[in-house]
Amino acid sequence: MGSILSAMDISAAGMRVQGDRIGVVSQNIANADTAANTPNSEPYRRKSVIFKNELDRATGVNKVTVDRVVEDPSNDFKLKYMPSHPGADQNGYIRLPNINTLIETMDMKEAQRSYEANMGMLKISKGMLGKTIDLIGK
Amino acid sequence: MLENIGLMKGIGGKMNWLNQRQTVLSQNIANADTPSYRPHDLEKVDFGEVMGRASNRPKIGKVTTNGAHIGANSEVGDADNRKSKTVYEAAPGENAVIIEEQLLKAGKTQADYNLITNLYKKNVGMLQMAVSSK
Repeated sequence: MGSILSAMDISAAGMRVQGDRIGVVSQNIANADTAANTPNSEPYRRKSVIFKNELDRATGVNKVTVDRVVEDPSNDFKLKYMPSHPGADQNGYIRLPNINTLIETMDMKEAQRSYEANMGMLKISKGMLGKTIDLIGK
Repeated sequence: MLENIGLMKGIGGKMNWLNQRQTVLSQNIANADTPSYRPHDLEKVDFGEVMGRASNRPKIGKVTTNGAHIGANSEVGDADNRKSKTVYEAAPGENAVIIEEQLLKAGKTQADYNLITNLYKKNVGMLQMAVSSK
């Protein structure tokens, strides 16, 4: 019985980290136009989540957690001609974040599918637990 | 009391095994995006053989008082949790969890679990029929 409950715990942890991932992707999309405010500072950098499997001491099972949120090191900033912007350089260009909304949308979909897979596992575990509880009825 | 009946013990052992497997598969799916994670699976246990031993064993069983003793015939051992050697494919981040593969295994586990709980019900029903006056 204990192990089926920990199976549900593990699936819930999986759903939680995918939720965190969606949070970071939303942040990226929301900041897709956050340019630098001064000519020398950097615009917003794309962030991504790294997961790891870690022992949860409370339950004694390995649960997936967010290891860290890292910034994308690529300097693939887009330039835009906006001479009136406070962040514009001497040529009148501002730098926009290294975010491709198409990639972010893909990442969002992937997170959504992983979330659904975890939910599927949770449903199966719940069904198995339900079957066991049904044994009392008969 | 029921667990002293060899058949019931076998059924209990199988249910336990399926629960453990479900935990392992949940673990795999939850780590579908963890870098360099390899999926695990439980070693298969030959329950046909367990059942055979349980129903053909001598009427007097052995008592185990120490972990090093050879267990009674109907004992169901714990299965090993191993890393899968053969996987469908591995992603560039060395993660080898394929969600479809894991869900297929989970579906199988659930079907087996349904079968085994129904078997349990049937057995309890038979015992009830034997002890009731109706």
